[in-house]
Amino acid sequence: MEQQFRVVGNSVPRSCSKAKVTGEIKFAADIKLDNSLVLKTKRSDQPHALIRSINVEKALAVEGVRSVFTARDIPGKNLLGIINKDQPLLAEDRVRSLADAVALVVADTEEAAERGAAAVEVEYQELEAVFDPVEALKEGAVQVHEKGNLLSCRKVVKGDVEAAFTSAYSVIEKEYTTSSIEHNYIEPDAGAGYVDENGCLVIYASTQNPHYDHKEVVGLLGVADDEVRIIQATTGGGFGSKLDLNVQGFIGLALYHLKCPVRYVYSREEAYLATAKRHPFVIRVKTATDKDGRFIALQMRAVCNTGAYGSYGMAVASRSAVHATGPYAIENVDVDVKCVYTNQTFCGAMRGFGAPQMALAHESQMDLHAQALGLDPLAIRRINGLRAGQTSATGQLLTASVGFQDCLDAVAPYYEDAKENWLSAPTDPFKRRGIGIGGMWYGIGNTGVQNPSTARVEMSPEGKVTVFTGCADIGQGSTTILAQITAEVLGLGHDDITMVVGDTGCTTNAGATSASRQTYISGNAVKDGAEKLANVLLTEAVDRLRAPKNSLHFVDGHVAVSIAPEIRVSVAKLAKRIHDKGGTLSWQGFFDPETVPLDPETGEGVPYATYAYACHMAQVEVDVLTGEVDVKRIVAAHDVGHALHPGNVVGQICGGVAMGVGFALMEEFEPGKTESMKDYHVPTVSDVPEVVPIIIESPEPSGPFGAKGVGEPALIPTAPAIINGISSALNKRIYDLPANLERVIEASIQAGHFRVQE
Amino acid sequence: MDKESVRIEFTVNNKEVALDIPADATALHVLREMLSLTGTKEGCGIGECGACTIVVDGKAVNSCLMLGAQLDGRMVTTVEGLATESGLHPLQEKFMEGHAVQCGFCTPGLLMSSHALLEEKENPTRAEIEKAIAGNICRCTGYQQVITSIETAVSERLDGENR
Ligand code: FES
Ligand code: FES
Repeated sequence: MEQQFRVVGNSVPRSCSKAKVTGEIKFAADIKLDNSLVLKTKRSDQPHALIRSINVEKALAVEGVRSVFTARDIPGKNLLGIINKDQPLLAEDRVRSLADAVALVVADTEEAAERGAAAVEVEYQELEAVFDPVEALKEGAVQVHEKGNLLSCRKVVKGDVEAAFTSAYSVIEKEYTTSSIEHNYIEPDAGAGYVDENGCLVIYASTQNPHYDHKEVVGLLGVADDEVRIIQATTGGGFGSKLDLNVQGFIGLALYHLKCPVRYVYSREEAYLATAKRHPFVIRVKTATDKDGRFIALQMRAVCNTGAYGSYGMAVASRSAVHATGPYAIENVDVDVKCVYTNQTFCGAMRGFGAPQMALAHESQMDLHAQALGLDPLAIRRINGLRAGQTSATGQLLTASVGFQDCLDAVAPYYEDAKENWLSAPTDPFKRRGIGIGGMWYGIGNTGVQNPSTARVEMSPEGKVTVFTGCADIGQGSTTILAQITAEVLGLGHDDITMVVGDTGCTTNAGATSASRQTYISGNAVKDGAEKLANVLLTEAVDRLRAPKNSLHFVDGHVAVSIAPEIRVSVAKLAKRIHDKGGTLSWQGFFDPETVPLDPETGEGVPYATYAYACHMAQVEVDVLTGEVDVKRIVAAHDVGHALHPGNVVGQICGGVAMGVGFALMEEFEPGKTESMKDYHVPTVSDVPEVVPIIIESPEPSGPFGAKGVGEPALIPTAPAIINGISSALNKRIYDLPANLERVIEASIQAGHFRVQE
Repeated sequence: MDKESVRIEFTVNNKEVALDIPADATALHVLREMLSLTGTKEGCGIGECGACTIVVDGKAVNSCLMLGAQLDGRMVTTVEGLATESGLHPLQEKFMEGHAVQCGFCTPGLLMSSHALLEEKENPTRAEIEKAIAGNICRCTGYQQVITSIETAVSERLDGENR
């Protein structure tokens, strides 16, 4: 029987949306603390150099400058990083990229801070720099870190690829590259802080992970846990880059020394210069099929450039290796992904963690094989697409909620229709049309490591419910969804739930808002807390209603007997009784997905408890003379388990597609060259296609009410679908992203389209 | 360093204000820092993102590119001035209902651009809506729910008038 839900599954109004449309809501840059001083960093102007000396005299002499801090002023551990600690807040003896901060200036005004930063004198001894990750791996290459340039390597090995290649019907080997990408959230990083009456350093920050920020600032300053409090300010998008410390450490350092309010708002230029980017990849891949189009082997050697610091690089390498096969069952796999240090701006997490880069490769190979065998692109995906009961390359048996085939089925009618009625419709003689398919899978949560979430669900003696969660809502809507989950369990309305979010003074760790994990993992943690609370309420109700527990349910703020709903007692009354008896109304929830760490040599293990699946179809029109690509429509089918808030899911899909269009066609961050939004183009309304979002619900048994996640999956299939569309339009494939005007024209010329037709 | 200052008088959100501002201050700075109207956002400071959009004498402009001194004598509306005592502006309502707001940082700009359009045109086409918001970058929504929300505001207004 279909389960009936009251609150989840409805697109209720999102939390804070009213304050957002009236302009009342305060983002970090809007927080005004009285007599606040302003921070600014002096950044390296060398990609790689030893620091001979730092002279702050002149900076201190600038009118309005209060203090200048360098690495020496950091009382605790001057090393940051969520996975491996390799990034100093302020450079000590060397700089490894243009983004490195050397000194922190505190001043009365922005202008004074800027002049102060400019007046800091740094004497460098230039070192040779390395920017290419392949070069960086060669013997004798300049070492970016003492331990060498290879940060990590993830292997996934299964079966015998060589044997499979020998017996294969068709073998195709290609190389793909992807570019560095700027997240370009519209709110530049910002924060503000003050010291409260107890001496605690209170820091408001635009962040995706307040509890991690807390840990890092505590370590940096060498203080006790309760001496720092991070409060997540309303956060204007993050997409992965606000997982690293951006302004938090600087604010903490200034507060520690000066004990007076400070603020730090990055200009867009500083946000470009100093924050993490998406890892560019070089991917060499060889795949083989049998004569029916079944993929029998995949071999991949990939290198990703993490720049000067690790940030989330190891996670990106790990996830990309696991996702190398795409959502397809392949018996023989040999994948090796290396994450390499260079002197570029550091790269970290960005929506998809390497999976979008992998998708370019596996989806292009899919189409190449289809072409080689004369198969339809959708058909070859159906043949190879994962189904429940199959095993992944890491040896994980996929038991349930494997909705990839459903996604293909959902796209199929649009595909057939487009082929029939759109593809050959008359068009400008210099325009060619193409249809492309892109598939993806995406493991929810961190890769093969523990990544628990906790939450506290509390009821007052008057029956009012408050949820305390460290889960940062960065605009994707997690706060709303967690309130819905709590309300569903307790028979309340979503707006009966007060949400206290991302304040390390009173919330507990929910882990990062990343890896599309919050609905699934924090959703389950909140559900766990709510169910524990529900249990004591039910126990109390048994007493009141004289009916067994399993005959009771929550409805409209009451506990009622299921078959005689008029027999009921209000939740408030139950809460009061529990409270008066000295019982507890405050419950901690916990969830950690069941995973098994990956074997370092073979990658065997259970990296994720569940996976989301998707298929996009792109209809593109290519101008063979200008290289312009007009993406007309994206049909996007996503298996999300259960859409707890369909409005949010659609929002993620449409937003992901837009970002995918940018990744496919226009975005490329070039360190040292890309300085402002004038140099970097993200899709505007005129660049985004019509999106047809299709929600597939293949419930995940371990998910909260069946839910999985959608944030990152939304972006992943778009670029490969577009590239496959362009390739079919031009009869010529593009292997490097972005497929910008130059590359498309080049392909057009090579394919012989670039000429006047009679 | 004494900076030259100028006195400006203008109307913002139906209130008259008069103040002395540094001659080189942008309109964005005057609104955010001097008048505490922080609903208007700074996303780039160079006219590329539209987060700072305000309506000046009926036209949507990037306040980061405008000098504060140019506000003198003008009628200015910021996002804080959209709602009235009788409630939210229909665009605000439709943005909320239509899930056009995710992180919300671009939202004030998008609202002001679409507000200027709706003041100018009774029944704008989809192309006109797209043109009006072409300078507003939203990295979260992909614009689709934004456009639909604006369209709904338009059609409900027309329905209301035809009733
Ligand atoms: S801040 Fe004015 S356009 Fe970006
Ligand atoms: S809602 Fe986040 S930038 Fe538009």
